[in-house]
Amino acid sequence: MALTFETVIGLEVHVQLSTNSKLFCPCPTDYIGREPNTFVCPVCLGLPGSLPSLNARAVQLGVKIALALGCFVSRVSRFDRKHYFYPDLPKAFQVSQLGLPLAEKGAMPIFLGGLKKTVGITRLHLEEDAGKLLHGTPDGRLSGTSFTRVDYNRAGIPLAEVVSEPDMSTPMEAREYVLSLRRIVRYLGASDGDMESGSLRVDVNVSQKCSDGRVGGRVEVKNVNSVRAMERALEYEISRQREVLLSGGQVYRETRHWDDSNGVTRGTRGKEEAQDYRYFPEPDLPPLVIDDSFIRAVEKDLPELPWEKRERFQAEWGLSSEDASTLSERLDLAEFLEGTVAHGASRGSAANWVKTEVLRILNETGLETEALPFTPRSLGALLAKVDEGSLSNTAARGVLEIMGHEGLGLEEAMRKAGIVPGGVKGDLLTEAVRGVLEGHPEETALVLSGSDSSGKKRKYLQGLVMREIRGQAPVGDVSAAIDRELDRMKGFRE
Amino acid sequence: MSREPMDAAAIASAVAGRECSAVEVVSASLERIDAQEPRLNALITVLEDQALERAAFIDGQVASGNDPGPLAGVPVVVKDNLCTRGIRTTCGSRMLENWKPPYDAAVVEKLEGAGAVIVGKSNMDEFAMGSSSEHSRFGPVSNPRDPSRVPGGSSGGSAASVAAGYVPIALGSDTGGSIRQPAAFCGVHGLKPTYGAVSRWGLIAFASSLDQVGPLSRSVVDAALTMDVISGCDPRDSTSKGGGFPRFIEGALNPYVKGTRIGIVREFREGVLEQPLAKAIEDAALALGESGCAMAEVSLEESVTFGLPCYYIISPAEASSNLARFDGTRYGLRMDAQDFVSQLLLTRGAGFGDEVKRRILTGSFVLSSGYYDAFYATALKVRKKICAEFDRAFTSADVILMPAVSSFPFKKGNFDDDPVGMYKSDLFTLPVNLAGLPGMTVFTGLERSGLPTSVQLVAPRWQDQRLIKCAAVIEKKFGRPPVACGGCI
Repeated sequence: MALTFETVIGLEVHVQLSTNSKLFCPCPTDYIGREPNTFVCPVCLGLPGSLPSLNARAVQLGVKIALALGCFVSRVSRFDRKHYFYPDLPKAFQVSQLGLPLAEKGAMPIFLGGLKKTVGITRLHLEEDAGKLLHGTPDGRLSGTSFTRVDYNRAGIPLAEVVSEPDMSTPMEAREYVLSLRRIVRYLGASDGDMESGSLRVDVNVSQKCSDGRVGGRVEVKNVNSVRAMERALEYEISRQREVLLSGGQVYRETRHWDDSNGVTRGTRGKEEAQDYRYFPEPDLPPLVIDDSFIRAVEKDLPELPWEKRERFQAEWGLSSEDASTLSERLDLAEFLEGTVAHGASRGSAANWVKTEVLRILNETGLETEALPFTPRSLGALLAKVDEGSLSNTAARGVLEIMGHEGLGLEEAMRKAGIVPGGVKGDLLTEAVRGVLEGHPEETALVLSGSDSSGKKRKYLQGLVMREIRGQAPVGDVSAAIDRELDRMKGFRE
Repeated sequence: MSREPMDAAAIASAVAGRECSAVEVVSASLERIDAQEPRLNALITVLEDQALERAAFIDGQVASGNDPGPLAGVPVVVKDNLCTRGIRTTCGSRMLENWKPPYDAAVVEKLEGAGAVIVGKSNMDEFAMGSSSEHSRFGPVSNPRDPSRVPGGSSGGSAASVAAGYVPIALGSDTGGSIRQPAAFCGVHGLKPTYGAVSRWGLIAFASSLDQVGPLSRSVVDAALTMDVISGCDPRDSTSKGGGFPRFIEGALNPYVKGTRIGIVREFREGVLEQPLAKAIEDAALALGESGCAMAEVSLEESVTFGLPCYYIISPAEASSNLARFDGTRYGLRMDAQDFVSQLLLTRGAGFGDEVKRRILTGSFVLSSGYYDAFYATALKVRKKICAEFDRAFTSADVILMPAVSSFPFKKGNFDDDPVGMYKSDLFTLPVNLAGLPGMTVFTGLERSGLPTSVQLVAPRWQDQRLIKCAAVIEKKFGRPPVACGGCI
């Protein structure tokens, strides 16, 4: 019988927390693109005599993520020192949390083609980042490294490490997990979640269970710098491990590095020996005590979570699974949508407009939602007119375009678009119809004669009227006005 | 101005009252240093120009009517493991031989803020590891009471500076007795405050959970004065706690101790001490009794039995971690090499002395997987038992009276081939660090040999004031520590 395999995947994600200062010192955190070693102080350089003091905001953000992931937040957690010698590690130990992490035992839902799956969260702990090594040569070439420099600007940046249970079994699930976690931390304002800049770093653990009872060693894959790289690394690693097992070999527990340009993982050591980090409790930091009132305060500050929004958009608003997913992806967009509804738009048209027009304008202008020249209030008011039929979709789109690109308010934009307050009706509408019919005697005659059996000519005329009145009347009203005018003309003839 | 050095309180009031200038006081201090240093080697760095400049600044403050602070013009010495901005801070090690910190230790800021003038950085056992001040890159320190003997350690340079009359006050650090043992050996007072009472910001760590900065002085009033200046919460040291302390100077000036229960430690009665030191305990007890204290007997059996092994697991463990950062990359000694690991090995090999290496090896071993539970985890449990034993003792006593040391200062070179023998000289002081308690060595007199006797007082956490009061009572009886005769010109 052919052997079958089951893949077991667990992820460790390092989330860089969006604090203004580092985890243990007042140094600023927006180090990207800065001159090396300018955002440093005795503490993050690990100078003799310096001592850490914990950043309360980092704790707050860590607790926020933990609560969003349904974790149990430890009332007492502790920092430990993890020792290893490396030039980017200023104190030769990293302050992390081993024995008593900030939070444990949570879960996060992920959605695969509309199906929901829950992935367990083992733990979330706080730790400090290390510096960065810059390899180079005197002449600027990348290969043939002749020196290494260290930049400690990143040293001491606060990280939350989120460790999942080994609950995933496909690269696609791992992908959804990472995207979902990224969505949450962005929703919470806890991190920018940007993988390319290293704000979100993923270490992958993957192993195989063989149908003959053999279990492959757990392989940790590092250096996956994008969601795509992670999927590719997993695909590669899964087939590599299966081949080893199929050929009767053994998969060793080891750490491998993803080589993105060659699309392979490489073992780092011939034989893995467990590194001894000589962990022990950090004596410079007292135990971190978190009381109920702190947790309640963070809890109060939690927004509706992305999957909750998504489910509500589907169940209560009746949006499709796809629309619900798109519109809950970004908190700013979801809030824009809900604001638009709160200001008079129907859920359906607001959803339609936000996912198409608003997103398009955001992409075109490169603005953040808060910076858009129109607000949920003005969009809501505009869409209310569409919903009540006093404005056609096309006309409203024109108005929004003017609002979005010229930065005009609703009233002004409508005026500029030639829109009449209250819409075109009564005599104005009759006049417009009459003008069109008189201007197109051939088509009008055809329609009157009854030979426009397909209704094509009549539609053509109706479109012309709509254009004439800039869409400022419901289609039904326009149609009725045309009927009335045609009847009147018939009357004249008979 | 007399040739006999004044104490800090007298200097501060004389300078503030314009009876003498800070420049005069500091000049006199520098002269004494100049004369004695060739023999004592108590200081690694003498800050002549800076000190005189600073003294002139203090005089300017006085002249312009500003409050010059409670330590106005008082020359002080700080141990060379306390960071001083722009002034080399060596820890007595080759590793930091030329390191100039970019910042001041909290206690240095506070001393200077109070008007004190730092005249020197004191010699010490390398990274504060040792009990004799012989293990220094800068050579051994001599005991001013008998230069053939060691001054104790690791704050031996600070103790010698005070005993020799360089300065009325010096700061030391105490991890297992490094203030109290040299104070006892040099015949001065030395206080190790409650763990957390004084900020460790800028104190180069030996064992973080045990280290504490404190004063050495020739008068209890000066010790109190210094404590009023240096104690208090510092947000930069998360293990420091809010004051809540009364003004120590009040306790020193009005040492009301009536009804205070003095606990005599049973285990130290039976022949473990040199006779004059045992007699010092009895005499001190009598003096306290005369002032209305009640006597009680307490037991510290576990602390005496298990304190030493417990300490020599926990302190090297923390030291191995704290000293791991010296890799030659960012500061201090760097031995050039082709790659990081070679640089690391060469630098650490050349930069650290034998005693430091011994403790790093011990500490790395007790923390390594497979040995952690047997050593480090067990030591933590023992530490808890020692704390509990002190807590029990403090149910029947308010202050414990015990020896600081079991012997007079030993001859230089005595323990060259017996590091463990040297470790044993901290037997009576290190349990106090393990329990985080305040402890104080109080001078009780000089023997005919010129060597000093002393006692140690220990109080519950945050009751440092009780030590000051009892010390003041003892001082009233036995007199203040005199400036070392061997140090007089």
